[in-house]
Amino acid sequence: MKTSTYKIEKSHRSLLMRLFEPPAIGKMSFASKLLSYFILWFWALFVIFPIYWVIITAFKDATTVNQGPFYIPFVDFQPNLNAWRVHLADDPYCNAYAIGRQLLLLIHNSLVFIVSPIFTLEAMEPQICKTYLAFTNSLIIGLVSTALCVSFGSMAAYALARVEYKPKFGNIFIFILLALCTIFTTNYAGIPWYFSTAVGLALFFLLARTLGKKFIRTLHNGDILFWIISQRILPPIVVIIPVYIMFQTVGLLDTHLALIIIYTVANLPIVVWLMHDFFLALPIELEESAQLDGASRFSIFWDIVLPLTRPGLAATTLLTLILNWNEYIFAVFISTSKSQTMPIMVAAKNAGEKGILWWEMCVVIVIMIIPVILMAIILQRFISRGVLLGAIKG
Amino acid sequence: MTSTLGTTVKFEKIAKSFGVVRVLEELSLDISPGEFLVLLGASGSGKTTALRILAGLETASSGRVIIGDNDVTEVLPKYRDVSMVFQSYALYPHKTVGENIGFPLKVRKVSQAEQDKAIREAAAQVQIDQLLDRYPRQLSGGQRQRVALARAMIRRPSVFLMDEPLSNLDAKLRGHMRAELKHMQSELGITTIYVTHDQIEAMTLAHRVAILEKGVLQQLDTPAKIYNDPINLFVAQFIGSPPMNVVHGGLEGTTFKSRSGLVNVPVGGKIDKAILGVRPEDCTIVAPDIAEFKGEIYTIELIGDHTLVTVKAGDDFITVKAPKDFSGKSGSQIGVSFSKERMFVFDKETGARIR
Repeated sequence: MKTSTYKIEKSHRSLLMRLFEPPAIGKMSFASKLLSYFILWFWALFVIFPIYWVIITAFKDATTVNQGPFYIPFVDFQPNLNAWRVHLADDPYCNAYAIGRQLLLLIHNSLVFIVSPIFTLEAMEPQICKTYLAFTNSLIIGLVSTALCVSFGSMAAYALARVEYKPKFGNIFIFILLALCTIFTTNYAGIPWYFSTAVGLALFFLLARTLGKKFIRTLHNGDILFWIISQRILPPIVVIIPVYIMFQTVGLLDTHLALIIIYTVANLPIVVWLMHDFFLALPIELEESAQLDGASRFSIFWDIVLPLTRPGLAATTLLTLILNWNEYIFAVFISTSKSQTMPIMVAAKNAGEKGILWWEMCVVIVIMIIPVILMAIILQRFISRGVLLGAIKG
Repeated sequence: MTSTLGTTVKFEKIAKSFGVVRVLEELSLDISPGEFLVLLGASGSGKTTALRILAGLETASSGRVIIGDNDVTEVLPKYRDVSMVFQSYALYPHKTVGENIGFPLKVRKVSQAEQDKAIREAAAQVQIDQLLDRYPRQLSGGQRQRVALARAMIRRPSVFLMDEPLSNLDAKLRGHMRAELKHMQSELGITTIYVTHDQIEAMTLAHRVAILEKGVLQQLDTPAKIYNDPINLFVAQFIGSPPMNVVHGGLEGTTFKSRSGLVNVPVGGKIDKAILGVRPEDCTIVAPDIAEFKGEIYTIELIGDHTLVTVKAGDDFITVKAPKDFSGKSGSQIGVSFSKERMFVFDKETGARIR
């Protein structure tokens, strides 16, 4: 007994023990420290190198790129701004007048669906700086759709977290049946759409009030939540043709509004799913207390719930923003010129007559990733813990 | 209890079940204006459910709730003019103490100047007026408790609801806050309904105590009546610390017989399985030869101002509150005598008191 105690005292540990045993609880042994940091550094290199490569390639020209890999600027090769000039200076429309004109065009294009019945603006020629156009397009579409997505999504998630819904299975079936009838009568029997829709809705409410009482099986909040997330199971490419035709029918192709709508809808399930968990984690006493204090449901949501889920909200916003910013499939189908976004522009550099213009592509990529990095830095401050501290523990 | 502020509260056959589980069985209560009523019960007795039904956070399966002259059974919480202190305090962590206290006024669109005045008044009443700019996380448990109280009373509701408000505090602070709460309630004269599982809180605070068990109201009376005249075995054992002694045996005429002795009781009847209940302070240690019950000393605990002696008599353990200078040895033979008027006999099957 005594000798074994003597052996494990700190000053008497063998070299092997010092290598493989942690010096204290909550610390790592030397060997595992070495291994984990090696893996971390290796992976960090793996992740950072492409970004480094994109940045230095943006300052190369055709010859430097084609003559083989050069790694270190000023040593291996002389960096220059040629590729940047192509995008920003050489474009004849990159001046204050053209950009102002373009902003007007953007606003008109975004609102064309709403304002065109009232007044029509002469469709303007796209005399514009392409890089600037794509950048502002991306910015407007990304920010607006993220804002819409997060506000609708979090409201829906809050409702699902706190209100109990019990839609009757039979009523849902009736609704689908009547919707099909409405579509059929409109398309094949020549009945005007407003008439058939009105009749369909009236019939639905009538049936739901009368027949609905007989149905027993109901769905619950969990089913609704799963149904919402199931919208994301289909890959976008599967639904792109119907979506294209829908936008074509209402005349929204190649507008900001179209992309804003489709991005909002496409990312809504992710926001609902993420925010639902954050709302569930809030102690319900806070909301009950606010109810007794006299707050309305909306003011509870706005004044109590949202500030307390700020870290979750920031993380969700960042994720949605990145998804919207990088989206390619929908954009490539729906936008052709006026509402082109940055990812489309990057891809376009792939298909030049002179082969792939790597240096020009890298300039676009650098311009594209800067706002996201800025957003991440801004939002990261909010993704902190301890907001709920002091709420309920004694 | 004479106050203009207080409002009557009435439960009319309130029942509540969650699915097949019946939590409350037809609870009827009649609470007078300005009264301090304590709902006392173990966890799962339905006391919190009753309070939440009154607050409007839960809907009753049947029955009616009446506050003042209004039937509020189906009225939203915010229109009931009640305020509640939660066990967890439920302070808004992102708001300062001042904003927390003023929240009920803010949502009612009271002007900022009036809000500030009311906040300062309410804070002064619970002695936290120097903490108004702090956040809840910077406060101690007792201070948070005071903030919750101030927030509950700032708009002078017609009814105060308190759901175990003191149970998160340490023992010393709890005693202190208890006294303050009682003082504040009698000063404000607001009808208060207080839920607790702590019998000391119930006894000290209440004008009347309602004891609930498994959703059924057992007894509703003043603390003194509940202590001195329990209606059944459950109430008798629930109230009192250390709890009432029980001796198992049978009743024949006015004689209660158990394996360790027999005693004349003030009631009569013939019950094969009866229980004799005596509070520890109504027992005395005597010499074995003159005692009604004989046994041996099991443990001796010195409390301070008295000594608790547990005596093993047959299969029963009898705790006796003895003087602090009691001297005796564990295991020695001893007798226990009961004071004549303070013995209760219960039917073991039903728990009902034999009178």
